[in-house]
Amino acid sequence: MQRCLGLLLAVACQLPGAIASAAEPPFALDDPQRIEAGRRRFASTCAAYCHGAEGSGGRAPAFKGNAGLTADDAFKTINEGRRGSDIMPPWGNALTPEQIWELVAYLQLLSRQPAP
Amino acid sequence: MLTRQLARHALLTAACLTGIGSWAASGPGYDDPDNWPQYHRSYNAWRFSPLQQVNKANVKNLRVAWIHQPGVITHGLQATPIVVDGVMYTIAPDNNVFALNAATGQVLWQYTAKLDPIVKEVFYGSASRGVTVGRGKVFIGTLDGRFVALDQKTGKQMWSTQLTNMKAEYGALFSSPPQLAGNVLFGGTTGGDQPVIGKIFAVNADTGERTWTFEIPRDDPKSWPRDSRKRGGGSAWLPGTYDPGTDTIYIGTSNASPDFNRDDRMGDNLYTATVLALDPRTGKIKWHRQEVPNDTWDFDAAYEALLVPDGQGKTVLAHLNKNGFVYVMDKDTGAMRNAWQYTENMNWAKGVDPKTGLPIDPVHPETDKTKLHCPNLLGARSWNHGAYNPGTKLWYSNGMEVCNHVTSARQEPLTGISQLALGLADIKLVDPPGKKADGWLGAFDPVTGKATWKVRFEMPHLSSVLTTAGGLVFSGDMRGIVHAFDADNGKELWSFNAGSGVRGGPISYAVNGRQYIAVPTGLGSHAPGFLTGAFPQIRDLPGGAALVVFTMD
Repeated sequence: MQRCLGLLLAVACQLPGAIASAAEPPFALDDPQRIEAGRRRFASTCAAYCHGAEGSGGRAPAFKGNAGLTADDAFKTINEGRRGSDIMPPWGNALTPEQIWELVAYLQLLSRQPAP
Repeated sequence: MLTRQLARHALLTAACLTGIGSWAASGPGYDDPDNWPQYHRSYNAWRFSPLQQVNKANVKNLRVAWIHQPGVITHGLQATPIVVDGVMYTIAPDNNVFALNAATGQVLWQYTAKLDPIVKEVFYGSASRGVTVGRGKVFIGTLDGRFVALDQKTGKQMWSTQLTNMKAEYGALFSSPPQLAGNVLFGGTTGGDQPVIGKIFAVNADTGERTWTFEIPRDDPKSWPRDSRKRGGGSAWLPGTYDPGTDTIYIGTSNASPDFNRDDRMGDNLYTATVLALDPRTGKIKWHRQEVPNDTWDFDAAYEALLVPDGQGKTVLAHLNKNGFVYVMDKDTGAMRNAWQYTENMNWAKGVDPKTGLPIDPVHPETDKTKLHCPNLLGARSWNHGAYNPGTKLWYSNGMEVCNHVTSARQEPLTGISQLALGLADIKLVDPPGKKADGWLGAFDPVTGKATWKVRFEMPHLSSVLTTAGGLVFSGDMRGIVHAFDADNGKELWSFNAGSGVRGGPISYAVNGRQYIAVPTGLGSHAPGFLTGAFPQIRDLPGGAALVVFTMD
């Protein structure tokens, strides 16, 4: 709860899909410490579940070299999940917006690397 | 050899002339030849159809009879359809149940389960492996943790019993159909990857009233130090089987949780990764065999309990584990008869002691260390079941040669039900050392492990296998090609491109003297996504959901 400093943020914590996705990231997405936090979380959850090491696996497009993946779209997808022929569960109730933005920071780093 | 083949051909031809009927043999596996009345067709888990109108000589003439598209494709079709007296009962994504005219595909009724919205947050969503038919009802296990009974004729709901607490148990749900043991309906949930006490539930099949609950993590501090049992996982996520001759339920359980880290559960973790023989009336254990003590590889022991003749007048239980070994046991006591290596690439142990059934010098993942383990977390085979043909005395089963690099980590508390307790810092599916990852379909003596033939594939099949008295073996691949092989030598005799991969269970049945082969298609489950690390081409494979049914003119 300490991250919910005011009413607006408190609401954002309860309704992450509605508000937090429209918010700006609370830190610079090229912050190395945030990228590293995102990398660790990605490896232990996203990679382990579905997306493979450095996003090289999974049924989604590879993250490396994927310049078309904007930060806002990445946040929205992680937050709300996606259902099509496969399932990505929504993470908005499991991770804080800050934790999701850290994942986004890591994905942005991958997107700037050469495609596999 | 040629003489034997000719003699066999003559026998088959003669049998064909008598019509569609089954081989002269009778008994378990041969009974009720026109139907596919339960998940594996017969309680011995053979997935063998005694029908032989479609055979080696004419399988090339198979044509599409009808296609059923349920209209939802999330995670494809994973079910094995049931056919009883000309009606097919099956289940599509999101617990959509259908009764179809098995000769034409006409929809007789449809039932769509009204699910708790919480199901949208669950990792193991949408998919079901089938329905169970009996006692005038169609039974399903739902994605929000219930057993439901429908009227077999109308599809109207007769009763519904909530069995799991989705919120408190991290979305534990039924991905497999509960099975019947007389008037007892039993089954387990997902949960091997979650910090819960996994359970097997039993209810009265006629009323839905709860009868017993079996908690898989044993209440024993030697097995589960401190309070680790409360987060020990354990589940029975595949259908069990019921042997009416001995009034015994066979059901296998999952890995312990967290999957790849054992720091807080240094014990054998009974009854995870265990084959259980249960009394259906009480849920009490008749015997058990734990195949993977202190499982730290996500190996489980959840696969089918195959009952086969041992060649010496007895029936034995042959049980494939994800860990790459087949355990051959006395079916009435669980005593070891043999153990044989199924996978080609195996390094997690030096072997299995064929007398004790225990792994020899297992190499466990260790916290903060990265190790290569073979087989990978999906196993030497995924859950797609094998099939046994009493004519050839061979067991046909798919396999994959894929390893994984695992970096174990202590598990932090989960913060949402979409999460899993894997105990990982990192995992990567990779080629076996010095080889390219691939898949195969093998024909084995299930007791000795002697392979008669193997067909290799660019990617492993995730389809269950069907074998028939027509001397055929059916399996489908991830691209959607349905294959028919010669049961004697693995030669491909027919194929059909269904357009999306096969993850369900092909079956065969007959209506009005005509044999049909039904193949659920539509690539689904999380397994293809996992495998993309070793097979990048999976990324481009389409999803789908179409039940394709073949016959001959």
